[in-house]
Amino acid sequence: MSYPGEMWRRLFSLGRRSRFHAELTEEMQFHMESRVDELVQSGVPRDVALHRAKREFGSGPRIAEDARCSWEFRWFEDLLADLAYAQRALRRNPGFALAAISCLALGIGADSTIFSVTTSFLLSVPSARDPGSLISLQAGGNSSSTVADYKFLRNARIFESTAGTNPEKDVNWRNGDESLRLHAASVTDDYFVTLGAPFELGRGIEPGETNTVVLSYRFWSGRFGRDAGIAGRHVVLDGKPYTVVGVLPADHRNIVGYGFSPDIYVPVLRDDEYVQFYARLPGGMGIPAARERLRVVLRELDRIHPLQGPIQGWKRDNSETHVAGVAGMDILASEQAGPVIAFFGMLLIVVALVLLVACTNVAGLLLARASARSHELAVRLSLGASRGRVVRHLLAESLLLSLLGAAAGLLIDAICGRLIGNLTLPLPVPIQLVIKPDGRLLWYSIGLVLGSALLSGLMPALRAVRRDVNVILKREQRAERTWGLRGALIAGQIAVSTVLLATGFLFLHNLRRAVSMNPGFDTKHTIWAAMRLVPEDYKDQSRQRSLVEEALHRLRSLPGVEAAAVTRRVPLNDNCKEATNLRTDLSAASMSVTYECNDVGPDYFRAIGIPLLRGREFTADDRAGAPAVAIVNESFARMIFGARDPVGHTVTTWGPIRIVGVVRDSRYFTLGEKPHPALYIPYLANDEPVALNFIVRASGSPAALVKPVADLLGRLDASAAVETKPLIRSMGLALLPSQVGAAMLGAMGVLGLVLAAIGLYGALLYSVSRRTREIGVRMALGAGSTAVLRLVCRHSFGLTAIGLAIGLAISAFATRPLAMFLVPGLSTADPAALVGVVTVFGAIAVLATLVPAVRALRVEPISALRCE
Amino acid sequence: MADDSPQLLPGTLYMLILRTLAGGPMHGYGIARRIRQCSAEALEVEEGSLYPALNRMLVKGWLKAEWGTSDTGRRARFYRLTNDGRKQLASEAGEFNKLVRAIQMVMKTA
Repeated sequence: MSYPGEMWRRLFSLGRRSRFHAELTEEMQFHMESRVDELVQSGVPRDVALHRAKREFGSGPRIAEDARCSWEFRWFEDLLADLAYAQRALRRNPGFALAAISCLALGIGADSTIFSVTTSFLLSVPSARDPGSLISLQAGGNSSSTVADYKFLRNARIFESTAGTNPEKDVNWRNGDESLRLHAASVTDDYFVTLGAPFELGRGIEPGETNTVVLSYRFWSGRFGRDAGIAGRHVVLDGKPYTVVGVLPADHRNIVGYGFSPDIYVPVLRDDEYVQFYARLPGGMGIPAARERLRVVLRELDRIHPLQGPIQGWKRDNSETHVAGVAGMDILASEQAGPVIAFFGMLLIVVALVLLVACTNVAGLLLARASARSHELAVRLSLGASRGRVVRHLLAESLLLSLLGAAAGLLIDAICGRLIGNLTLPLPVPIQLVIKPDGRLLWYSIGLVLGSALLSGLMPALRAVRRDVNVILKREQRAERTWGLRGALIAGQIAVSTVLLATGFLFLHNLRRAVSMNPGFDTKHTIWAAMRLVPEDYKDQSRQRSLVEEALHRLRSLPGVEAAAVTRRVPLNDNCKEATNLRTDLSAASMSVTYECNDVGPDYFRAIGIPLLRGREFTADDRAGAPAVAIVNESFARMIFGARDPVGHTVTTWGPIRIVGVVRDSRYFTLGEKPHPALYIPYLANDEPVALNFIVRASGSPAALVKPVADLLGRLDASAAVETKPLIRSMGLALLPSQVGAAMLGAMGVLGLVLAAIGLYGALLYSVSRRTREIGVRMALGAGSTAVLRLVCRHSFGLTAIGLAIGLAISAFATRPLAMFLVPGLSTADPAALVGVVTVFGAIAVLATLVPAVRALRVEPISALRCE
Repeated sequence: MADDSPQLLPGTLYMLILRTLAGGPMHGYGIARRIRQCSAEALEVEEGSLYPALNRMLVKGWLKAEWGTSDTGRRARFYRLTNDGRKQLASEAGEFNKLVRAIQMVMKTA
């Protein structure tokens, strides 16, 4: 006797009511006739037997009713009936239905969109066969280890299979005449075997292969026009030919998570490349067991191949060895995802508030409707409907509204999801979210539907049945309480929207501040040209050096170029912090300092527009072999030398360095950071990387120079990937948090405001129309239009003021945790935001009051008195 | 039909019906007659409780109902035990026997 079975049989019986009844009647007929037969056989006359059988049997309909009861699905049948009735009621009132459904659609759409983005960013399950048995390994707490270590681990065979991937690798792709830098993931040859993910076409890189590649769907469709015959074609990467063997599907989710999506997968080639480890657990092995066995293998590895780190004596800390699942919540615990979780948490709270405002709107509408229908409800109650039954009947209506609202909202969600999926964020790493509706979204939406049905429907329904039936039936007019439940609803709604709008304003203000924030260098006249050389072509350092010199020489002679320089790092895009012990030639005491560092070439400060305060720039003579020199910024000079001029003095770290210049402070990592000390050393004094960065200063607009600079560099080495853009365009990363925050919260604030404005307007319009008779009486008794206007305005302005006061008080406290997302110097109690919110709501209150007020004035006293 | 026939113990009607049907499919009237006969006319199952009980047991899945022909040649609805019904009978009968033995022990000794 299983409960589900019982439910099922009951549900099944729903459709067979009339047949059930006929069968039961026939059965009882049979029973009675059998009894009569029996009595007749025992000698009772037939007519007496008939009477006796009837008497014994009792009431047929009663038995039938009792028998039917056991099959009944009372609440379900009632619900269906209520929904059918609600649907008819809504159809009679399309304006109301449309208003309520669109409010809920906006609220539920916003909410489910943010939920989809959050789950797909934080909790996406990588595309793989049985992702539950995939784990990520961090040997000794290091997020990646060498391919040599990977091979040792694979050969130990403790897992079903083991894979390694370096998800952030650049390769130059030779495409016709140009070379493009691609975001590649290098993978070990059993990566795709371990993953077991499906392919759009072709297959993965297979064990033993070193010259095959797999394309992402985006790269395949963007660059190869979805060529179905791509498999077998050759591509040249870093000067080497590879064969394309497969394409991943559009919804492939990389194992790294966070929407990470490289353009192309290439095989790892060298044993000293660093890769992240992933493995598939053999059946029955849990994560703790895997961790134990991994530690044993790593101890063995340490014994045979001691780790060759960048620092002598660097050891793997085996106690830090970390093993975690790749699917589900583990990713939240395993990464330092704190600020990201906080950000999404905040968004989820904000959209929940938007939905709350939407529900309040619908509650206001339902409340108005319930009082318009009070006569009908009173008739139902007086005819014996229980209050619970009427409440359920009214709730069915709000449930139907929520269902329809959710359907429309999920449509919005699907559209937004697709838009977001096509969005390319201005990030140095390829992030693309795959947003697809899933089971989580389904459950979340069901929760939203039930929640919004209860939130919007329960209060109006309870209120509708609590009124005195007699009073309503006699059509007695009672004075509406000015500050009744509806007033509280409006005030509450304004309060919530105030919080939303204040947050939106805060972030818009934050964005404005961030954009106008001076980075300390010139972004208006400068071009950044990044040039990635193919490493295999430049094993000889002197080749690279002469290329850099040739490039600078040609750039400087380009018309319109004022200055050009080479640098290791471009500020706000890449930074390097160094912590070391340092002493000066002024005292023997050493101090521990942390500073930003960069390797810059001659003329760098002039090119990027950082003012040189004292001393000189680096020259071509400041190179390897020459005496070590450095340029410091103001903060560094102040920290180490106080008020003294540091030029000519030396600091000693691993060797003495003479300071030749002081430059003004600028920003290095974020726009909002505090001034940091910085130390610049000559570019030419160290080994050169394959990624070159040129800063070019234009005498006019930099946009016109982008193409000539790119062409010039491209001609120097056709196999190098060149990316050239005005420096201002590369500020995206630094501004992204502010922009995303402002866009999201600004949009939510506006949405909340629109909803609240509709609610306020509708509610005031309704309340004035309810008072038509009262206003008519007042005017008939001689009240002037000013007095009536004052009456109407006092009501709505009072409500607005109360709502605003509560909302501002809440937002003063509730927005405090948001300080971590704001630029320094901007407090969450931002006066500009507060003034903005008050102004906007004031304007809306005036507008929403004016229309009903004018209507009230136009009321003809006679017609008002006659109404009802 | 004696007026002093004892009332059915609450909750035993299901068990009696299940036990009666353990012998084979039977129609509603047959079940009532059989219980009366087996109890030497001491137990009377009223129609007002028999048919609701049969329907509740159908809902619970202990019984199945099929239309057939009675010994008098008329169309009648026959009830048959399902596997769930057999299990239910075994557990209810076990419980009931334990209870009766316990009550008898108290009545004899105390």
